[in-house]
Amino acid sequence: MKLVRIPVKAVGAATALLLSTPAFAGWEPTKPVEIVVAAGAGGASDQMARMMQAAIQKNNLMKQPMVVSLKGGASGAEALMYMKSSEGDPNKVLIAYSLIYMLPLSAKIPFNWRELTPVSVVALDQFVLWDNSAGPKTVKEFVAAAKAASAPFKMGGTGSKREDHVLTVFLEQKTGAKFSYLPYKSGGEAATQLVGNHTEANVNNPSENLEVWRAGQVRPLCVFDRERISYTTKVTDTQSWADIPTCKEEGVDVQYLMLRAMFLPGKVTPEQQAFYVDLFHKVTQTAEYKDYMEKQALKPIFLTGKDMVQFLEEDDALNKSLMTEAGFVAK
Amino acid sequence: MEALGLLLHGFAVLLTWKTLVLMMVGLVLGIFVGVLPGLGGPNGVAILLPLTFTMDPTSAIVMLSCIYWGALFGGAITSILFNIPGEAWSVATTFDGYPMAQQGRAAEALTAAFTSSFVGSLVAVLLITFLAPMISSFALKFGPPEFFAVYLLTFCSFVGLGREAKHKTVISMSLGLLLAGIGMDTVSGNLRMTFGSPELLRGINFLVAVIGLFGISEILLTMEERLALRGHAAGISLRVVLGVWKDLPKYWVTLLRSSFIGCWLGITPGGAIAASFMGYNLAKRFAKESESFGKGRIEGVFAPETAAHASGTSALLPMLALGIPGSGTAAILLGGLMVWGLNPGPLLFVEHKDFVWGLIASMYLGNVVGLVLVLTTVPIFASILRVPFAAVAPMIVVSCAIGAYAIQNAMFDIWLMLGFGVVGYVFKKIGIPLAPFTLALVLGNRAEDAFRLSMIGSGGTLKVFWSNGLVGSITTLAILLLFWPVIDNLLGRVGLTHGTRATSP
Amino acid sequence: MSQTDIEIVVEDPTAPEDDSPSVVSSGTIEIVVCLLLLALAVTLGFDNWRTGASWDATGPEPGYFPFYLSVILAGGSFYGLVATLLARRASSGTFVTRAQGRRVLAVFVPTLLFCLTTQFLGLYVASFLLIAGFMRLVGRIALWKSLLTAFAFTAIMFVTFDVAFDVIMPKGPLEAALGR
Repeated sequence: MKLVRIPVKAVGAATALLLSTPAFAGWEPTKPVEIVVAAGAGGASDQMARMMQAAIQKNNLMKQPMVVSLKGGASGAEALMYMKSSEGDPNKVLIAYSLIYMLPLSAKIPFNWRELTPVSVVALDQFVLWDNSAGPKTVKEFVAAAKAASAPFKMGGTGSKREDHVLTVFLEQKTGAKFSYLPYKSGGEAATQLVGNHTEANVNNPSENLEVWRAGQVRPLCVFDRERISYTTKVTDTQSWADIPTCKEEGVDVQYLMLRAMFLPGKVTPEQQAFYVDLFHKVTQTAEYKDYMEKQALKPIFLTGKDMVQFLEEDDALNKSLMTEAGFVAK
Repeated sequence: MEALGLLLHGFAVLLTWKTLVLMMVGLVLGIFVGVLPGLGGPNGVAILLPLTFTMDPTSAIVMLSCIYWGALFGGAITSILFNIPGEAWSVATTFDGYPMAQQGRAAEALTAAFTSSFVGSLVAVLLITFLAPMISSFALKFGPPEFFAVYLLTFCSFVGLGREAKHKTVISMSLGLLLAGIGMDTVSGNLRMTFGSPELLRGINFLVAVIGLFGISEILLTMEERLALRGHAAGISLRVVLGVWKDLPKYWVTLLRSSFIGCWLGITPGGAIAASFMGYNLAKRFAKESESFGKGRIEGVFAPETAAHASGTSALLPMLALGIPGSGTAAILLGGLMVWGLNPGPLLFVEHKDFVWGLIASMYLGNVVGLVLVLTTVPIFASILRVPFAAVAPMIVVSCAIGAYAIQNAMFDIWLMLGFGVVGYVFKKIGIPLAPFTLALVLGNRAEDAFRLSMIGSGGTLKVFWSNGLVGSITTLAILLLFWPVIDNLLGRVGLTHGTRATSP
Repeated sequence: MSQTDIEIVVEDPTAPEDDSPSVVSSGTIEIVVCLLLLALAVTLGFDNWRTGASWDATGPEPGYFPFYLSVILAGGSFYGLVATLLARRASSGTFVTRAQGRRVLAVFVPTLLFCLTTQFLGLYVASFLLIAGFMRLVGRIALWKSLLTAFAFTAIMFVTFDVAFDVIMPKGPLEAALGR
């Protein structure tokens, strides 16, 4: 089994490159800008969009207001089709995640991210293996319990044939334990079902389980990354994000990180693209952004231009091979 | 007492100028909507819902629920003054309310209506206050099988208890369930019934359908009938109000009975309409000179209004605690909750205390403020009816279109709304009930997902729906309700008739 | 007793006559509706059967429920069809009289035009045209009153949605010319 890995570019280089670019006086939006969210209300994308909206408005980064537009229909496909059909409209910006690679494969949605205009990658999201706080205390105990159980352990997640589902399949391959995967509508639902003991585990993003972790109802077992999360501020009474071991440390060699990136529709002018590159770069410098990254345990990154395209191509190839291996590509 | 402490906290959340202003705005809009023919509670809330998308959830729900109270109050005004029930649940109020107005006792009838509405909702709110904390501890027991059992119960009660021809209820519900399935299927991640159309990809939004089914079709229906009005405007003097209030204790049995019926029907999905008729019929049955009902008897106003409001209010409890709406308006508020990112369900009481108790506190305040407001503004609202329908109708059409578009920013939805308008008009005229259709459209997907998740979790055995006491008793109850007409028939043959069947007076 | 009892009278000069002849009976409409529903059920049923409508190891496939719902819908419509056909000779009420039909069309046609106009000229222009036109042509209200009401209402909507709440409505060339 292959090592699951995402290339992470050095943040410094990209930032330096950006800072040297001159201020763009050429183009500015003349209408309110729509920030398109490919998920339901309250999900990680929505929260991030609202953070950006607040950061832009509080720091006066743009003259026109920014409006959050939720297009979570059809597991986010609605947003993708909406962006695709808005060719040439510089007042819409999509906040994308791994669905841009996965949905066209699993549900045959006629969409390709290369038809959009890339702006920047703004963060990488982590995945953590969680179980109920009454359940096994370590990964080893968890795997042993899963193997010994008479019925397969129930693993909750968001959506079907998506990142959570892929991770579950690889977890099965790596550990030899069987799981039945329960696709819920949102990470929040997956979290409450774990609290209520209706599932044995989930692979939620840190932000999705944050509240129930703080309430002492779930336990993080390991994080699916090569290194631990860097934030050391205590989140619960005793633990910080940095205290969660990596899955590799615990003997389960599975890694997966998910991009959070901004895209404009296709066929916009280079001036328009440059405006947004500059805008989101400024956003990453705000206190709101930094605070948000730490609270949600996101990995900071800023990629744009050629670096971003290269990252997307590699990430796309990786996701495609994962999806193929898991058998999730529609015929 | 835990509930009291939380309630006080709720009042603290609520008592800001911003919320109070929103409350007043909501009440005024609601009364307006309730008085206008062609609108009404669910429609008004559906049309005004997008206005609240950018507010914080607590302000938004306070405003929306105040629109709801306002509409409940407003419905009574037109019933009594003009014999036009602005709302279906106000029909029973016209039986005695309008005769009273004709006898020149309009002020008395209005006071009676408003006061009893207030009493009804107060009883229901008290119930919610003390039941809600219990529900939240009960909360975490709900997994997929339990959720499915509750959805099943809701559906079965519609098929079993509805008064329309059975096959029409079946048509309405299966059509709703089918349309709900259009788009992405969460469990498998596949597309269904989209026929390759990008517009159908996101599915049929329930609010768009409701705006068309109720808003647009109601205008078509209203237009079809004669619009001439003749009625009595009335100013209410303090003396009349005090006079009615002084007599209030005499009718305590009626008030209590109607409140009880209302709460019961509000929590089970019987709804306010059934409650108001049932309240009226029982008051009539138990009265000493029952033949004087329908000729301007004040109890004939007290009974249906109390029941309608008690059920309208208590319908919010299952909506908040289980995510199951007890009435049409509650169903729309449920849609609103999801838009604001709140997951209605047991955990709402644990995770969003501010929101839940703010809402409950707003029920108390909204009713008190609403009572004062309607008592002082009756003449103004009655005069709305003088505005020609030719001016009101196009404004309602525009409001509907705005409402439909704003939900998903899609032009396609405006066309969909128009289509549902025609469907609603035709269905209403040939007696296919719309309530099961709406219910199916809201809950269809959730019910299916819950069922399939239960199957995945249990390895595909149906026994999971009887796997513990909770889920077993709900499932059994659902099946009993489904076959209730048959069982009722059998009991009838043995001679055990039951007394709650509504008969039209 | 209230001293301010005023009678409100609203006349409706365009009310439909009660003795207007029936255009179509309810029975006929029921048959048409049942046939349409039957056609819909067959179309959807076929699509779901193609998607997969069996019950596999982990429960029902995506097309399972919609397929059987289509069957139920088809059954219900068929029952309705037969019941209406059998009952037809006994009684058939009026679905709509000629006068009523004319009035319903008087609302429906403008609404349809409104939707079309919204698609091409934007919602606000369409709203102005609908209100002004409907008041003037259907309601026979004075032209200045119609124009003023239409303008005021549209302006209030614009300020409420586009300005105050940032809910963006469909726009057309007029708004573009004004820079929104």
